[in-house]
Amino acid sequence: GTNRGPMKPSGDLIAYKNVNDLPPPRDFMIQVDQKNEAILLPIYGKMVPFHIATVKSVSSQQDTSRTCYIRIILNTPGAPFAQNDPNLQKFPDSIYVKEVSFHSKDPRHISEVVQLIKTLRKQFASRESEKAERAT
Amino acid sequence: MADGHSFNSISLGGRGGTNPGQLKVHSGGIVWKKQGGGKAVEVDKSDLLGLTWMKVPRSNQLGVRTKDGLHYKFTGFRDQDVASLNTFFKSNFSTTPEEKQLSVSGKNWGEVDLNGNTLTFLVGNKQAFEISLADVAQTQLQGKNDVMLEFHVDDTTGANEKDSLMEISFHVPNSNTQFVGDESRP
Repeated sequence: GTNRGPMKPSGDLIAYKNVNDLPPPRDFMIQVDQKNEAILLPIYGKMVPFHIATVKSVSSQQDTSRTCYIRIILNTPGAPFAQNDPNLQKFPDSIYVKEVSFHSKDPRHISEVVQLIKTLRKQFASRESEKAERAT
Repeated sequence: MADGHSFNSISLGGRGGTNPGQLKVHSGGIVWKKQGGGKAVEVDKSDLLGLTWMKVPRSNQLGVRTKDGLHYKFTGFRDQDVASLNTFFKSNFSTTPEEKQLSVSGKNWGEVDLNGNTLTFLVGNKQAFEISLADVAQTQLQGKNDVMLEFHVDDTTGANEKDSLMEISFHVPNSNTQFVGDESRP
Protein backbone atom coordinates (compact mmCIF):
# COMPACT_ATOMS: atom_id res chain seq x y z
CA GLY A 1 0.00 0.00 0.00
CA THR A 2 0.93 3.64 -0.12
CA ASN A 3 0.26 4.28 3.52
CA ARG A 4 3.56 3.13 4.84
CA GLY A 5 5.27 4.39 7.91
CA PRO A 6 4.72 4.06 11.60
CA MET A 7 1.65 5.25 13.37
CA LYS A 8 2.13 6.30 16.92
CA PRO A 9 -1.05 6.10 18.84
CA SER A 10 -1.01 8.50 21.71
CA GLY A 11 -1.77 6.98 25.05
CA ASP A 12 -2.97 3.48 25.51
CA LEU A 13 -4.52 1.80 22.54
CA ILE A 14 -8.08 0.75 23.29
CA ALA A 15 -10.68 0.02 20.65
CA TYR A 16 -13.44 -1.04 23.02
CA LYS A 17 -13.67 -0.82 26.78
CA ASN A 18 -16.54 -3.25 27.15
CA VAL A 19 -17.62 -6.41 25.38
CA ASN A 20 -21.05 -4.93 24.70
CA ASP A 21 -19.57 -1.90 22.95
CA LEU A 22 -18.86 -3.98 19.88
CA PRO A 23 -21.22 -3.38 16.97
CA PRO A 24 -23.71 -6.17 16.25
CA PRO A 25 -22.22 -8.76 13.90
CA ARG A 26 -23.47 -8.74 10.32
CA ASP A 27 -23.26 -12.11 8.55
CA PHE A 28 -19.85 -12.77 9.99
CA MET A 29 -18.01 -10.65 7.52
CA ILE A 30 -15.23 -8.13 7.92
CA GLN A 31 -16.55 -4.89 9.39
CA VAL A 32 -15.06 -1.45 9.75
CA ASP A 33 -16.18 0.51 12.81
CA GLN A 34 -15.41 4.14 12.04
CA LYS A 35 -16.68 5.46 15.33
CA ASN A 36 -14.36 3.31 17.41
CA GLU A 37 -11.59 3.28 14.80
CA ALA A 38 -11.38 -0.48 14.60
CA ILE A 39 -11.72 -3.29 12.14
CA LEU A 40 -13.53 -6.49 13.10
CA LEU A 41 -12.45 -9.79 11.64
CA PRO A 42 -14.52 -12.98 11.76
CA ILE A 43 -12.26 -15.59 13.35
CA TYR A 44 -13.89 -18.84 14.43
CA GLY A 45 -17.35 -17.47 14.90
CA LYS A 46 -16.20 -14.39 16.77
CA MET A 47 -15.78 -10.84 15.61
CA VAL A 48 -12.23 -9.99 16.66
CA PRO A 49 -11.41 -6.28 16.85
CA PHE A 50 -8.11 -4.76 15.81
CA HIS A 51 -7.50 -1.07 16.43
CA ILE A 52 -6.76 0.86 13.24
CA ALA A 53 -3.38 1.84 14.72
CA THR A 54 -2.29 -1.80 14.50
CA VAL A 55 -3.01 -1.93 10.76
CA LYS A 56 -0.01 -1.48 8.53
CA SER A 57 -1.52 -2.15 5.13
CA VAL A 58 -4.42 -3.77 3.37
CA SER A 59 -4.74 -5.17 -0.12
CA SER A 60 -7.17 -7.25 -2.12
CA GLN A 61 -6.97 -9.52 -5.08
CA GLN A 62 -9.62 -11.00 -7.29
CA ASP A 63 -9.16 -14.28 -9.08
CA THR A 64 -10.88 -15.46 -12.23
CA SER A 65 -13.84 -17.00 -10.52
CA ARG A 66 -16.03 -14.88 -8.30
CA THR A 67 -13.85 -15.32 -5.25
CA CYS A 68 -11.55 -12.66 -3.95
CA TYR A 69 -8.96 -12.33 -1.27
CA ILE A 70 -8.15 -9.69 1.27
CA ARG A 71 -4.88 -9.46 3.11
CA ILE A 72 -4.42 -7.33 6.18
CA ILE A 73 -0.91 -6.75 7.47
CA LEU A 74 -0.50 -5.52 11.02
CA ASN A 75 2.36 -3.65 12.62
CA THR A 76 5.09 -5.75 14.16
CA PRO A 77 8.40 -4.73 15.71
CA GLY A 78 10.59 -6.42 13.11
CA ALA A 79 9.15 -4.52 10.17
CA PRO A 80 10.93 -1.60 8.53
CA PHE A 81 9.79 1.83 9.79
CA ALA A 82 8.18 0.24 12.81
CA GLN A 83 11.29 0.42 14.97
CA ASN A 84 10.41 3.79 16.43
CA ASP A 85 6.93 2.92 17.47
CA PRO A 86 7.01 3.04 21.26
CA ASN A 87 4.03 0.75 21.49
CA LEU A 88 5.89 -1.96 19.67
CA GLN A 89 8.99 -1.74 21.80
CA LYS A 90 7.20 -1.86 25.09
CA PHE A 91 6.35 -5.51 24.78
CA PRO A 92 9.44 -7.53 23.90
CA ASP A 93 7.97 -10.73 25.30
CA SER A 94 4.82 -10.57 23.24
CA ILE A 95 3.82 -12.47 20.15
CA TYR A 96 2.23 -10.40 17.40
CA VAL A 97 -0.50 -11.16 14.95
CA LYS A 98 1.22 -10.13 11.76
CA GLU A 99 -1.04 -10.94 8.88
CA VAL A 100 -4.58 -12.17 8.36
CA SER A 101 -6.00 -13.24 5.01
CA PHE A 102 -9.58 -14.05 4.12
CA HIS A 103 -11.26 -15.26 1.03
CA SER A 104 -14.64 -13.82 0.30
CA LYS A 105 -17.66 -14.59 -1.79
CA ASP A 106 -18.42 -10.90 -2.22
CA PRO A 107 -15.86 -8.84 -4.21
CA ARG A 108 -17.90 -5.65 -3.84
CA HIS A 109 -17.90 -5.92 -0.08
CA ILE A 110 -14.16 -6.56 -0.10
CA SER A 111 -13.32 -3.52 -2.22
CA GLU A 112 -15.53 -1.43 0.03
CA VAL A 113 -13.75 -2.77 3.12
CA VAL A 114 -10.32 -2.03 1.62
CA GLN A 115 -11.40 1.53 0.85
CA LEU A 116 -12.87 2.07 4.31
CA ILE A 117 -9.77 0.73 6.05
CA LYS A 118 -7.48 2.94 3.96
CA THR A 119 -9.57 6.03 4.65
CA LEU A 120 -9.80 5.32 8.36
CA ARG A 121 -6.10 4.70 8.54
CA LYS A 122 -5.38 8.01 6.81
CA GLN A 123 -7.72 9.95 9.08
CA PHE A 124 -6.18 8.39 12.14
CA ALA A 125 -2.61 9.04 10.95
CA SER A 126 -3.21 12.69 10.12
CA ARG A 127 -4.96 13.31 13.40
CA GLU A 128 -2.13 11.70 15.32
CA SER A 129 0.52 13.71 13.49
CA GLU A 130 -1.42 16.91 14.12
CA LYS A 131 -1.49 16.03 17.78
CA ALA A 132 2.24 15.41 17.74
CA GLU A 133 2.88 18.73 16.04
CA ARG A 134 0.81 20.64 18.52
CA ALA A 135 2.71 19.00 21.33
CA THR A 136 6.07 20.29 20.15
CA MET B 1 -36.42 -28.90 36.20
CA ALA B 2 -35.10 -32.20 37.48
CA ASP B 3 -34.51 -33.39 33.96
CA GLY B 4 -32.50 -30.39 32.95
CA HIS B 5 -32.71 -27.25 30.89
CA SER B 6 -33.47 -26.63 27.28
CA PHE B 7 -32.47 -23.56 25.28
CA ASN B 8 -33.60 -22.53 21.85
CA SER B 9 -31.44 -20.40 19.57
CA ILE B 10 -28.06 -21.51 20.80
CA SER B 11 -25.38 -21.31 18.13
CA LEU B 12 -22.47 -23.64 17.72
CA GLY B 13 -19.44 -21.65 16.68
CA GLY B 14 -16.75 -22.93 14.40
CA ARG B 15 -14.46 -21.99 11.62
CA GLY B 16 -17.27 -21.38 9.15
CA GLY B 17 -19.20 -19.02 11.38
CA THR B 18 -22.05 -20.17 13.56
CA ASN B 19 -24.94 -22.57 13.23
CA PRO B 20 -28.20 -21.99 15.10
CA GLY B 21 -29.72 -24.84 17.05
CA GLN B 22 -31.13 -26.08 20.31
CA LEU B 23 -29.15 -27.05 23.36
CA LYS B 24 -30.25 -29.38 26.12
CA VAL B 25 -28.49 -29.89 29.37
CA HIS B 26 -29.63 -32.99 31.25
CA SER B 27 -28.26 -35.01 34.13
CA GLY B 28 -26.36 -37.29 31.72
CA GLY B 29 -24.67 -34.62 29.67
CA ILE B 30 -25.10 -31.96 26.99
CA VAL B 31 -26.85 -32.32 23.62
CA TRP B 32 -26.99 -29.75 20.82
CA LYS B 33 -29.01 -30.20 17.66
CA LYS B 34 -28.74 -28.06 14.59
CA GLN B 35 -31.90 -26.22 13.60
CA GLY B 36 -33.66 -28.14 10.83
CA GLY B 37 -31.77 -31.32 11.56
CA GLY B 38 -28.38 -32.50 10.45
CA LYS B 39 -25.48 -31.99 12.74
CA ALA B 40 -25.76 -32.89 16.37
CA VAL B 41 -23.29 -32.74 19.21
CA GLU B 42 -23.56 -35.02 22.19
CA VAL B 43 -21.26 -34.85 25.13
CA ASP B 44 -21.67 -37.43 27.85
CA LYS B 45 -21.07 -36.34 31.41
CA SER B 46 -18.22 -38.83 31.68
CA ASP B 47 -16.49 -37.33 28.61
CA LEU B 48 -16.59 -33.83 30.01
CA LEU B 49 -13.20 -32.33 30.74
CA GLY B 50 -14.14 -28.79 31.57
CA LEU B 51 -16.66 -26.01 31.16
CA THR B 52 -16.08 -22.29 30.71
CA TRP B 53 -18.22 -19.17 30.51
CA MET B 54 -17.30 -16.12 28.58
CA LYS B 55 -19.17 -12.86 28.14
CA VAL B 56 -19.39 -12.12 24.44
CA PRO B 57 -21.21 -9.20 22.77
CA ARG B 58 -24.87 -9.30 23.86
CA SER B 59 -24.61 -12.88 24.98
CA ASN B 60 -22.74 -15.52 26.93
CA GLN B 61 -20.69 -18.33 25.53
CA LEU B 62 -20.42 -21.78 27.05
CA GLY B 63 -17.19 -23.62 26.27
CA VAL B 64 -17.33 -27.40 26.49
CA ARG B 65 -14.07 -29.27 26.49
CA THR B 66 -14.11 -33.05 26.09
CA LYS B 67 -11.60 -35.70 27.03
CA ASP B 68 -11.07 -36.43 23.32
CA GLY B 69 -9.57 -32.96 22.96
CA LEU B 70 -12.61 -31.38 21.31
CA HIS B 71 -13.73 -27.92 22.26
CA TYR B 72 -17.26 -26.77 21.46
CA LYS B 73 -18.44 -23.21 21.84
CA PHE B 74 -22.12 -22.46 22.29
CA THR B 75 -23.37 -18.89 22.17
CA GLY B 76 -26.78 -17.41 22.95
CA PHE B 77 -27.17 -17.66 26.72
CA ARG B 78 -28.68 -14.80 28.68
CA ASP B 79 -27.20 -13.70 31.99
CA GLN B 80 -29.97 -15.43 33.92
CA ASP B 81 -29.28 -18.67 32.02
CA VAL B 82 -25.72 -18.59 33.27
CA ALA B 83 -26.85 -18.46 36.87
CA SER B 84 -29.37 -21.28 36.54
CA LEU B 85 -26.97 -23.46 34.56
CA ASN B 86 -24.23 -22.98 37.10
CA THR B 87 -26.54 -24.38 39.77
CA PHE B 88 -27.39 -27.30 37.50
CA PHE B 89 -23.77 -28.05 36.62
CA LYS B 90 -22.84 -27.99 40.26
CA SER B 91 -25.47 -30.45 41.41
CA ASN B 92 -25.37 -32.76 38.38
CA PHE B 93 -21.82 -32.64 37.05
CA SER B 94 -20.25 -31.48 40.31
CA THR B 95 -18.34 -28.84 38.43
CA THR B 96 -18.35 -25.06 38.31
CA PRO B 97 -17.48 -23.47 34.96
CA GLU B 98 -14.39 -21.35 34.88
CA GLU B 99 -14.97 -17.75 33.87
CA LYS B 100 -12.94 -16.41 31.00
CA GLN B 101 -12.79 -12.90 29.64
CA LEU B 102 -12.80 -11.69 26.09
CA SER B 103 -10.31 -9.09 24.99
CA VAL B 104 -11.83 -6.29 22.93
CA SER B 105 -9.04 -3.75 23.22
CA GLY B 106 -7.97 -4.25 19.60
CA LYS B 107 -4.31 -4.89 20.30
CA ASN B 108 -2.37 -7.24 18.05
CA TRP B 109 0.22 -8.22 20.59
CA GLY B 110 -0.15 -10.72 23.38
CA GLU B 111 0.54 -14.33 24.18
CA VAL B 112 -0.08 -17.59 22.42
CA ASP B 113 -1.34 -20.52 24.44
CA LEU B 114 -1.40 -24.02 23.01
CA ASN B 115 -3.73 -26.49 24.64
CA GLY B 116 -4.53 -29.72 22.85
CA ASN B 117 -5.79 -28.76 19.42
CA THR B 118 -6.55 -25.21 20.35
CA LEU B 119 -4.38 -22.17 19.83
CA THR B 120 -5.50 -19.23 21.94
CA PHE B 121 -4.32 -15.68 21.41
CA LEU B 122 -4.43 -13.81 24.70
CA VAL B 123 -4.16 -10.08 25.23
CA GLY B 124 -3.45 -9.16 28.83
CA ASN B 125 -4.71 -12.56 30.04
CA LYS B 126 -7.98 -12.10 28.20
CA GLN B 127 -8.83 -14.22 25.23
CA ALA B 128 -8.81 -12.42 21.89
CA PHE B 129 -9.51 -15.42 19.66
CA GLU B 130 -9.09 -19.16 19.32
CA ILE B 131 -8.08 -21.30 16.38
CA SER B 132 -8.47 -25.04 16.00
CA LEU B 133 -5.21 -26.50 14.80
CA ALA B 134 -7.18 -29.41 13.32
CA ASP B 135 -8.20 -27.04 10.51
CA VAL B 136 -4.67 -25.99 9.72
CA ALA B 137 -3.52 -27.43 6.41
CA GLN B 138 0.03 -26.25 6.60
CA THR B 139 2.37 -24.32 8.83
CA GLN B 140 5.29 -22.44 7.43
CA LEU B 141 8.20 -20.74 9.02
CA GLN B 142 8.88 -17.47 7.24
CA GLY B 143 12.24 -16.05 7.94
CA LYS B 144 13.41 -16.54 11.48
CA ASN B 145 10.53 -14.97 13.30
CA ASP B 146 7.25 -15.53 11.53
CA VAL B 147 4.95 -18.52 11.69
CA MET B 148 2.24 -18.80 9.07
CA LEU B 149 -0.82 -21.02 9.48
CA GLU B 150 -2.75 -21.91 6.36
CA PHE B 151 -6.27 -23.22 6.65
CA HIS B 152 -8.04 -25.80 4.56
CA VAL B 153 -10.19 -24.15 1.97
CA ASP B 154 -13.48 -25.93 2.18
CA ASP B 155 -16.36 -24.36 0.33
CA THR B 156 -18.85 -27.07 1.17
CA THR B 157 -18.87 -26.31 4.87
CA GLY B 158 -18.55 -22.58 4.21
CA ALA B 159 -21.63 -22.26 6.41
CA ASN B 160 -23.07 -18.82 6.72
CA GLU B 161 -20.09 -16.55 6.76
CA LYS B 162 -19.16 -14.40 3.83
CA ASP B 163 -15.50 -13.91 4.56
CA SER B 164 -13.55 -16.94 5.68
CA LEU B 165 -10.18 -17.10 7.30
CA MET B 166 -7.49 -18.37 4.95
CA GLU B 167 -4.18 -17.57 6.58
CA ILE B 168 -2.91 -16.05 9.76
CA SER B 169 0.66 -15.39 10.70
CA PHE B 170 2.32 -14.62 13.99
CA HIS B 171 5.50 -12.70 14.56
CA VAL B 172 7.67 -14.01 17.38
CA PRO B 173 10.37 -11.45 18.22
CA ASN B 174 13.85 -12.66 19.12
CA SER B 175 13.27 -11.28 22.58
CA ASN B 176 10.44 -13.71 23.17
CA THR B 177 11.42 -16.57 25.40
CA GLN B 178 8.25 -18.62 25.30
CA PHE B 179 8.96 -20.38 22.03
CA VAL B 180 12.46 -21.36 21.09
CA GLY B 181 13.72 -23.58 18.31
CA ASP B 182 11.31 -26.06 16.87
CA GLU B 183 8.55 -25.25 19.27
CA SER B 184 7.86 -22.07 17.37
CA ARG B 185 6.03 -24.30 14.93
CA PRO B 186 2.77 -25.13 16.62
